Amino acid sequence: MTTAVAPPLLEDTPIGPKAGGFYRHQSVWTGLGFGIFLGFLAWLISHATVQGSNWGTDMVVTCTMVGWVVGFNIGVGTFNAPIRWMLGHDQTHEDELYAAGVGQGSSRYLKFCTDHKVVGTQYLVLVMVLFGVGGTLAMMIRTQLITPHSTFLDPQTYNAIVTIHGMVMIIATIIMVSGPFANFIMPIMIGAKDMAFPRLNAMSFWVVVSAVPCLLATFFLGGVNAGWTTYAPLSVQAPAAMDAFAMTIITFVVSVTIAGVNTIVTVVTMRAKGMTMGRLPIFTWGSVVGGALGLYAMPAFLVVMTMMITDRATGTSFFVPEVGGSQWLYENIFWIMGHPEVYVILIPPVAAVLEIASTFARKPVFGYKVAIAGFVAIASLSIMVWAHHMFTTGWAPNLAAPFMLTTELISIPTGIIFLCTIGTLWKGSIWTRLPMYFVYLFVWNFIIGGVTGIYLSDVPADQFFHGDMFVTAHFHYTLLGGAMIGATAAVCYWFPKVTGRMLNEGIGKVAFWMIAIGIQVTYFGQFWEGFQGMARRVAYYNPHYEAANQMSTAGAYLLMAGWLVFLYMMLSSWRHGKIAPANPWHAKTLEWKVPTPVPLENFLVDPVVTSDPYTYGEGVPDGQEVPATAPAPEPELVPAGSAPGDEHDGGGAS
Amino acid sequence: MAITETDHGTDGHDAHGHGPVVAGAENPGGEHETAFRRDQKERLMLWLLIGGDGLFLVLELFTWFYLRALNVNGLWNGAACTKANPCTDGLGNPINAPITKADPKHAIIIAVSTVLAAAFVWLAESAARRDAGKRAVSAMAGIGVLFILLAVGWQIYQFQVIPFTTIDGAYASTYIFFMGSTLAHLILLTFIMLGLWIRASKGRYAGATWYRVRLIRFFAVWIAVSTVILVAVGALFY
Repeated sequence: MTTAVAPPLLEDTPIGPKAGGFYRHQSVWTGLGFGIFLGFLAWLISHATVQGSNWGTDMVVTCTMVGWVVGFNIGVGTFNAPIRWMLGHDQTHEDELYAAGVGQGSSRYLKFCTDHKVVGTQYLVLVMVLFGVGGTLAMMIRTQLITPHSTFLDPQTYNAIVTIHGMVMIIATIIMVSGPFANFIMPIMIGAKDMAFPRLNAMSFWVVVSAVPCLLATFFLGGVNAGWTTYAPLSVQAPAAMDAFAMTIITFVVSVTIAGVNTIVTVVTMRAKGMTMGRLPIFTWGSVVGGALGLYAMPAFLVVMTMMITDRATGTSFFVPEVGGSQWLYENIFWIMGHPEVYVILIPPVAAVLEIASTFARKPVFGYKVAIAGFVAIASLSIMVWAHHMFTTGWAPNLAAPFMLTTELISIPTGIIFLCTIGTLWKGSIWTRLPMYFVYLFVWNFIIGGVTGIYLSDVPADQFFHGDMFVTAHFHYTLLGGAMIGATAAVCYWFPKVTGRMLNEGIGKVAFWMIAIGIQVTYFGQFWEGFQGMARRVAYYNPHYEAANQMSTAGAYLLMAGWLVFLYMMLSSWRHGKIAPANPWHAKTLEWKVPTPVPLENFLVDPVVTSDPYTYGEGVPDGQEVPATAPAPEPELVPAGSAPGDEHDGGGAS
Repeated sequence: MAITETDHGTDGHDAHGHGPVVAGAENPGGEHETAFRRDQKERLMLWLLIGGDGLFLVLELFTWFYLRALNVNGLWNGAACTKANPCTDGLGNPINAPITKADPKHAIIIAVSTVLAAAFVWLAESAARRDAGKRAVSAMAGIGVLFILLAVGWQIYQFQVIPFTTIDGAYASTYIFFMGSTLAHLILLTFIMLGLWIRASKGRYAGATWYRVRLIRFFAVWIAVSTVILVAVGALFY
């Protein structure tokens, strides 16, 4: 790929504290102020108007959460542009520059900033915080389970922690790649200067930020003790925390929907000249398919959680059989969202793994078009498999066989993508740097997670395994071992471009081995528990399962220690790491052709793409890689170093 | 007036990397792509959002027909029982006391108002397209706003007059959910149509920017269609 790049200009443009008043002072702090104020106001009004209410009345909690979310987003600036649009007061050119963070230094990371790279970095930090919270809760769970009758947590608290651990991790994993990298990297990859809708992009981030306190508030509202699936009628009977939980989901759905739309529109309409759909880097395809799937899975989550709130707060009867509702309605709608959501999580990291494998094997992605077809096939099939989560509920037994078939069918495109990954590595001249370590780990974990999933798709086997620790081990192998490790590989791969610094790979390899061994010990322990028949979501268990639980808990401690080392490596490298060259991996895609740090508009001269993204080892035909706009040398490095060029097509040692 | 794609310059980009301000264009100082490019982007965004909203509608209908078909404990359209005060026969089975069906008149008025609002947005688009002047565009948009406000007002009024409450069984619950969903959509459309009216009166839809009125028309028509579907299902499948 070829691009022409001119030096950045706009970063140096001073933005005066001109008109705009409050608009220029909005940040996360004003968001907090407004959120707390409106939340309190909503609490006061609802408390005063709902008869016989107390602090924990469902309607009062719901109104308070709505007040918080709306207030926070008003305060942080989410609604500025729509309101100004409606009033006909359009943003000036200076306003646009200000919104993009020009001249604001690091304070722009605490503001409603429209620069896609700032939004990507904000997402990266948010994901790290969420993983910190979710991981801490996971360690509390494993600590409780180290002995059969531990008194570390009472059962009610244990159930609440299990629920919130699940939901925090679901939220974090959905945004862990699509947030940081589909925002920061993907627009550059396709030669765009920003996302299609920069303000919607910032909105998607701040809306999800406003959802997080709602989720954490559940601990102070009695806890949600219904598991992350919050099945009715348990969730209808749960404490007021369930209202905050449902508000979290509703808010999160808004964010994911906006982000999904933005990703698709960006790729379809913002590609550089010559960047045909067949030349899109595979990661871009993964982001688009994941975004599209999210866009069409999430409305189900919105519907089911809205009904849940109305059942609780206004007495409707969607899920309560005693008054004409059906818990099967909940399960159906929930899993119409729930299974595609797994692939919303999985597809972007898998695509990132293919991208990384190609770079380090110095080979094109094996079966590029087949892999894209695989993504599309997975997305299509995933909306036809939801009832495999309901095999044991008694719902529509005649449909068990068809749903078993569709579920098993989905293993075909999944297997094909797996083979594309292996094929990309096969006979490659592999340059084993830190990202590749995590690619290998992904391959190992993903096959275990995938194969064990086939057992669960099988109706007779599922009768035995359903609701036991085998299921827990399976989905952790898939989502942690597969998706999260894929995302970790992506972090290692794009870290130099995002931060301008190289990771300390020595520490990184220590973290890698701790994480790799920790995963195997933790989740093989849980497979063992599952084979023995231990149920999920229990605070106490039969001493018969003690050895397996101790194995799993020991592995979990090692795993957590590994993540802490990894976090230390990231933070210390971010601050003190070696300055990264523009293209440390000698990769071919466009994001490596721009300087580091990436200038505000990525490309001040429109790039023109004249070749495929994976031309490793291929000679460059004369005249093919000449930029159509202005010829330019390889990008100059900022602040130091120089682009090594693309001549390194062979392998190399780390 | 046709929209054509033209090259945009590379000088004077704003923070989002788009070209210089086009005189007379909407949103001066904002994003500055060609009208064709912006229309392409915004139209795609809108269709995707309408697709997502369509799935929301499908799931609402699924809920209606699923609960109606199950008729759990005979309580689809009847419930003397409440969670707080369950009324059962001597064997513990719930007693089914049919509730009165919602008067379709209100829903029909709301649907007709919404359709008329969408029609006037269409007329506003037509006026903008032929460059009929800001008065013509804002007049059509203003009449549309009146109709959408009527729809919102009547939807709120319907909450007061329906002959059941949320606790009266599955039919009542789902019907009220439809009403709430319709109200939320109508409020969103009101916001957008107010924007259309205000901006039209400031002459923001002159020249090549007529396509933005078309975008609003797409959304208004979608809201009208979804409202009609919900009204029809609510009225015909008691």
